[in-house]
Amino acid sequence: MERRRFLRNAGAGIVGVSAFAGCSSPGGDDERPSRTESGTGTTTGAATTTSLGGTLRVATYSSFTGEGTAGNWLKSAFESEYPDATVEFTTPENGLNQYIQRANEGAPIEADLYVGLNTGELVRADEQLDDPLFQSLSEDVAGVDGIKDGLQVDPEGRAIPYDTGYISLVYDENEVEQPETFDALLEPAYEGDLIVQNAQQSDPGRAFLLWTILAKGVDGYLDYWQGLQDNGVRIMSDWNPSYEAYMNDEAPMIVSYSTDQVYYHGEGVDMAKHQVGFLNDQGYANPEAMAMFSSASNGDLGRRFVEFVLSEEAQAQIADLNVQFPAVEGVEMDEEFTRYAYEPPEPVTFTYEELAGNVSTWIEDWARQVASK
Amino acid sequence: MRERAERFAVPLGLVTTVSVLIVVFYYPVGNVFADAVSSDGRPTLAPILDVLTDPFYTGIAHHIFTDPLGVPAGIIQWFLAVELSPSGLDLPPTSIGLFGFTAYQAALSTVASVALGLPGAYLLSRYEFPGRHTIRSLTILPFVLPGIMVAVGFLAMFGRNGLFNDVLAVVGLGPVEALFTLEIVVVAHAFYNAPLVTRLVTTAWESVDRRQVETARSMGATPFRAFRDVVVPQLLPSLLTASLLTFVFTFMTFPIVLALGGLQLATVEVWLYARVQNLELTEAAALGTIETVISLGLTYLYLRYEARQVATGRAGPSLARRQLVDGVRSLRDPRRLAIAAYGVVVLVVFVGPLLSMVVESVTGPGGEFTFEYYRFLLAQQTSSAIGTTRPLPAIVNSLLFGVGTLVLALPMGIVVAVVANRDVTGSRGAEAVLSAPLAVSGIVVGLGLLQTLVFGTVLFDYRITVLGPSAIVFAHAVAAYPFVTRNVAPALGGLDPRLVDAARSLGASRFRSLLDVELPLVASGVVAGAAFAFAISVGEFDSTVLLAEGVDSYTMPVALERYIGNRSLGPSLGAATAMGTVLLGVTAGSFVVIDRVGGRWQP
Amino acid sequence: MATVTDAGVELDGVSVDFGDVSALNDVSITVEHGEFFTLVGPSGCGKTTTLRAIAGFESPTEGTVAIDGEDVTGRPPEDRNVGVVFQNYALFPHMNVRENVAYGLRFRDPPGGVSRRERVDELLELVDMAGLGERDPTELSGGQQQRIALARALAPGPEVLLLDEPLSALDVRLRERLRVTLREIQQSLDITTVYVTHDQEEALAISDRVAVVADGEIEQVGSPEQIYRSPASRFVAEFVGDNNVFEAAVDGSDPPRVSIDDQTVPLAAASKVTPGERVTLSIRPEDISFDERDVAITATVEQVEFLGDAYRVHCEWGEMPILVKTTHDEIPRETTTIWFDAPDVHVVGRSVTE
Repeated sequence: MERRRFLRNAGAGIVGVSAFAGCSSPGGDDERPSRTESGTGTTTGAATTTSLGGTLRVATYSSFTGEGTAGNWLKSAFESEYPDATVEFTTPENGLNQYIQRANEGAPIEADLYVGLNTGELVRADEQLDDPLFQSLSEDVAGVDGIKDGLQVDPEGRAIPYDTGYISLVYDENEVEQPETFDALLEPAYEGDLIVQNAQQSDPGRAFLLWTILAKGVDGYLDYWQGLQDNGVRIMSDWNPSYEAYMNDEAPMIVSYSTDQVYYHGEGVDMAKHQVGFLNDQGYANPEAMAMFSSASNGDLGRRFVEFVLSEEAQAQIADLNVQFPAVEGVEMDEEFTRYAYEPPEPVTFTYEELAGNVSTWIEDWARQVASK
Repeated sequence: MRERAERFAVPLGLVTTVSVLIVVFYYPVGNVFADAVSSDGRPTLAPILDVLTDPFYTGIAHHIFTDPLGVPAGIIQWFLAVELSPSGLDLPPTSIGLFGFTAYQAALSTVASVALGLPGAYLLSRYEFPGRHTIRSLTILPFVLPGIMVAVGFLAMFGRNGLFNDVLAVVGLGPVEALFTLEIVVVAHAFYNAPLVTRLVTTAWESVDRRQVETARSMGATPFRAFRDVVVPQLLPSLLTASLLTFVFTFMTFPIVLALGGLQLATVEVWLYARVQNLELTEAAALGTIETVISLGLTYLYLRYEARQVATGRAGPSLARRQLVDGVRSLRDPRRLAIAAYGVVVLVVFVGPLLSMVVESVTGPGGEFTFEYYRFLLAQQTSSAIGTTRPLPAIVNSLLFGVGTLVLALPMGIVVAVVANRDVTGSRGAEAVLSAPLAVSGIVVGLGLLQTLVFGTVLFDYRITVLGPSAIVFAHAVAAYPFVTRNVAPALGGLDPRLVDAARSLGASRFRSLLDVELPLVASGVVAGAAFAFAISVGEFDSTVLLAEGVDSYTMPVALERYIGNRSLGPSLGAATAMGTVLLGVTAGSFVVIDRVGGRWQP
Repeated sequence: MATVTDAGVELDGVSVDFGDVSALNDVSITVEHGEFFTLVGPSGCGKTTTLRAIAGFESPTEGTVAIDGEDVTGRPPEDRNVGVVFQNYALFPHMNVRENVAYGLRFRDPPGGVSRRERVDELLELVDMAGLGERDPTELSGGQQQRIALARALAPGPEVLLLDEPLSALDVRLRERLRVTLREIQQSLDITTVYVTHDQEEALAISDRVAVVADGEIEQVGSPEQIYRSPASRFVAEFVGDNNVFEAAVDGSDPPRVSIDDQTVPLAAASKVTPGERVTLSIRPEDISFDERDVAITATVEQVEFLGDAYRVHCEWGEMPILVKTTHDEIPRETTTIWFDAPDVHVVGRSVTE
C-alpha cells in the first residue's frame, strides 16, 4: 500500500519530462562547426601542468581500458600533459556496487575517480549510504558548463557526463516497417517481432523501460508492458546475447543504440538490417558520467583529469572510441561518425531527482509482472 | 617422524579442510545469511517470512505461511472451483510462484538430464569402440563452458535459422521455434548436466563385479533379471547422486535461463541476482537461505538413503565390453540401432551447440568465413597496452589454477569421503554440511567473498584481506571438492573394510592404508573427481574475478567475458566465441591428459 | 587383577560396546607364548570382536589388552605387531602375490636380517606357493588365496598370529588338509596364535586350548579334551560335539540319583549334587552302548545312520530323543536296552527347584 501511494506521488513529479533539441535527425548530415585546432593544453595553465603529479586511481568497467580504448587514449594523453602523473585503472567486476558496499562496510575505497556511472547508480549510492560517496565537482572544474543541457542529470554536480548513447530500435527493414510510436508496437503486425533486454541487469533494457515510463506514465507503463507481453515481446538477459539473437534472425526488431550503423557499414553489409528507428520521435539518452569519491586522495589531479575528459579533443576521441555521442556541446565528430550515428529528434531522459526513490520500485513492479507465475 | 605425521594425516587433513572451508566458505556465506536471520544483532525470521508469505515467490503455498489454519479450507475451495465443462476439466487458475516454477523446471531438467545421460553411461561402460577413452574424458566438457557460450551455441543450433531447422527442412520438417521456450531451457540444462549423469554412472557401472552378474546368471537369472537384481542396485546410488546434483544445480540455475528463455522464465536465482545488483541484501539473503535450506535438505535426505544402501564388495573384474560395431550384424541388432539413434540425439544436443559455437568463431557478421576473431586474439596477445586481456596468460592462469585446485580439492574431497564413510552417528549430517558448497547459490558465495575476504575483516585493528591467486585456488577447491567426495565416497563405502584392517595389521597407518589400498581400488572415482575438480576450476567465474588482485589474475572465462564487452570488432560475440573455442580446446586436452595420467594409476 | 604377565596375549576384563549393544562383556583370557588358542562359538557370540580387540580394530570400552607382556590397549593396529588372516583373506586385489606378501615389510624390517626379497621367497616357500609370486590374487583358488593371506600375515614376523575363520570359505576336504598345514606352520614357528572359528570340530582338532564364547562372555576355557569331556555348562555341552542333554531332579538317596521317565539314573559320587536340586545332565553318544554297562535304560530305535567307521543311532527314551554312537555291528531294532556308566553322566548345570 505504502509503496503504491509513494509511487503515485512521485509520478506527479515526472510530468516535466526533460527534453532537449536534437543536433541531428536520423540520416541527417547537418553542418557542424569545424573542430578547433587549439590543443588541449589551453584549458589548463602551464604552472599546474608541471606541479601536479602522483597517481590517479580510476575505477571503471573493464572494456574502458585495453588496446584501442578510450581509457588507454585518455591515460597516455593525460600523462603526456602531466608528466609527473600516472593514471591507474581498476575494474571491479561488480562496478559501482563494489564501492557502495565498501563504504557500507567501512572498508577502504582505493580509487579517486569513478568513470562510467549512470544516473540510476548514483540514485542507488545515495539511497544506500548516509554519507555521500561522491563529492561535488561542478564548482571547481572547467568545462562543466559546456555539457549539453539534457545530460545535466545530477543537480548537485557530482556526476559529470562525458558521453551519451541514445536508446532506439534497430530493425530489419526487409522484414518490418518502422514502428513510429510506442502504441504501434502493440499492433498484431509486430507480434513476436521485438527483442528487449532485462531492465534488472542490462543498461539498454533499463533505459528502454524508463523510456516507456516517460511515454506512458507511471500509471500506464505496466499496462503498456502487458500489451507488449501479449504481443510476444522477448526479454533477454543482456544486450550481447540479445543482439546475437537479432543477428541470427530470431526477431526483426531489437532495443539497441542509435549508433548501430557506426559499427555496421561498409562493403557487403546489408544495411537493411541496421535501420535505426526512434519511437514517438524520441530517443532515451543514457549518459555515462564520471565522479570523484569523497575520500579521493588526489583530488586536484582528479579534477584536472575530469577537465581533461571534457576538453574538445578528448570528447571527440572518447565518443569515437566508445561509439557514443560527446557530452559536451559543439564537439566536431569525424565525417564517418556523423554520417552513421543518429541523434533522436527529441532526446529524453530521467534526471536524478525524478529517479530518486522511484527507479527500483518501477523496475521491481515491471519485473514481477513479467516473471509472475 | 614420518610415521607420526602419517598417523595424524587424516585428522589433520580434516582440520585443514574445515579451516579452508571456514575461511573461504562458511564465514563469507554466513556473513550474507546473517542478514536473513538477524536484524541489529537480534534474531528475526521476518525477512524469510516476508518471502514465504509473498505469493509472487511461493504462489498458492503462501497461504501455508500467512494463514496456516485456513490451508485445508483453501484446498477445498480450489477443488470446489473445479468445473466440468464440455472440453474437459476447467481448473481454476493456480499460481505456483517463483519457487514452484523453479522447482518445476529443475525437475524437468533432471528428468531430461537422466534420459540423455544414462544411455551414454551404458554405451561407455558396456561397449568397446575406437575413441572410447577420449569420449569418456570429454564428457564433462560442457561443464566448463560459460553460460553465454552455451547460449551462443544453442542460438546457432536451435535458433530460427539454426542448423537444426536447416536439417529439419532438408527432411521436410519444421521449422521449430525453440528459443524462449521452457523446452530449450530444459535441453540446455541437460546439455550441462547429462554429462554429470553419464560420468558418475559410468564410474559405478565399470566397478560392478562381473562375478556377481555371472553368479546371478548361473542361478538361472535371465540377462534382464541379472541386470535388474545385480547391476541396477549398484548403479542406483550414483544415478541418484547425479540426479540430486542436477536438481540442485538447475534449481539454482541462472545465466542460461535468461539467455535462452527470457525473463518470463525467470527463476529464484534470477531474482536473487537482481536483489544483489540493487543492493537489497536482506531480501537476497532470505532468498539464498531458502534456496540453501531446500538444497541442503535434499542432500541430507539423499545421503541418508545412500548410507542405507548395502555396501557390495567390489574390486573384482568388471563386466566385459561388447564391440560396438560387429560387422553387418550390427545393423540388425535392436540394441545397436538404439545406440545409433542415441548417437543422433548426442549429435544434436551436445555436438551441435559446441560445433555451432566453433563455427560462429570463424563466421563474420555477414555470414562469411573469417579468421578475424582469431587475429583479434593474436592482436590482444601482442598488444602492450595496459588493461589488455591477453589470451596466453588467461590460458596459463586457468591451467595453473586448475592444477592447484586439483591438488587441493583431491585431498579435501577424499578426507571428507573417508569421514563420511565412518559409521558414526551424525556422519551423514556432517557430510551434508560439508557438501554445502554445492547447495549455496554462486551469487551468495560471491557476495560473501566480496564482503569478507575482498573488503577485509578487522582483526586486532588490522584489516585482513584474502586476495590473489592462492585465494582463488582455495575458493575453487572449496567449490570443487564436493565433486571429489561424491565420486569417491560411494566407491570407498563399497570396499571391503577388511582390506584396511589387513593393511593396518601389517603396520600401515590409517593414512598409508588409504594411500596404498583404498585409493588405488577406487581410482576411477578419484580420477573422475579430479576431472570434475579441474573442470569446476576452469569454468569458475564469479569468485575468480572477485579475488583476483589487480587485473592480471584473469582466467579463460574472465578473458572471454571481457572480450564480450570489447567493442573494437563491433558489437559482436565473435571474439568471445574465438576465446570460447580456445577454452574448449585447452580444457578438452586437459581432460584427456587427466584421464590418461589417472588411468595409469588405475589397477 | 590388572597385573600384566608376560603371556603371549592377555585380555583382562575386556568389554566392547557398540552403542547400546554390548558385544563383549568382561572377558579375561590369557594365551601363553607359542600356544594355539581357539575362540569358538556360534555367529554373533563375540569371538570375532575379541579377536578384533586383540588386533586393535575395536577399542575396549573397559579392560586392558596386553601383547607379550606389554599393555597395548590404546595402540592403533599398526603398532601392535600382530598378523591377521581374514575369513575372506582380504588380499589386495591391485597387488600381485609378491606385493601382497611384501606389503608388511614396508613398515617392519624382515626378521632374521634377511632382505625383503628373501623374506618373501621364504614365506612363499613356507606356504608352498613358490613360483606363483607374479600371479594376481584373482587368479588363485580359494586355498591358494588362504595360503597367501597366511604368508602375508607372517612376513613381518609378528608376535601374535590372529586368524578369523580362515578356513570357513573352503570345502570340507581342503579345510581339513589346510588346518593340518596351518598347525604345522604354527608349531614350526612357535608363534602365539589366536584362532576364531564357529566349527567346534575344527577347534578341538587344531588347538592347544579352546575358549567357548557365548553372548559376549567366555563359557569355558580348557584343553580340547577338557572342553569335550567335562563341559562346564549346558551351552558348552550342546555346542561342542554331539551330546545328549537332560534335565532332572536329584532325589534324596545316596549315592545321588535322578529319575528320568520313570527310570532312575545313579550319578557318580563326584558330581556333588544335593538332594532336591534340579540339574542338567549330559552324556556323550559314544558313551552309550548296546553292550552291558552300569546303568540300563529302555529306549526305542528310530533311525540309524551309517558313518563308515560307526553308526549314529537315533533313539527315543520315553518322550526324549537320545543319540547313540556305536561301532557295534548289529544294531538292534525297535525297543531295546541301552547302557552307560554313571561317571560318564556329567552335571552341566544346576538350579534349586522352586
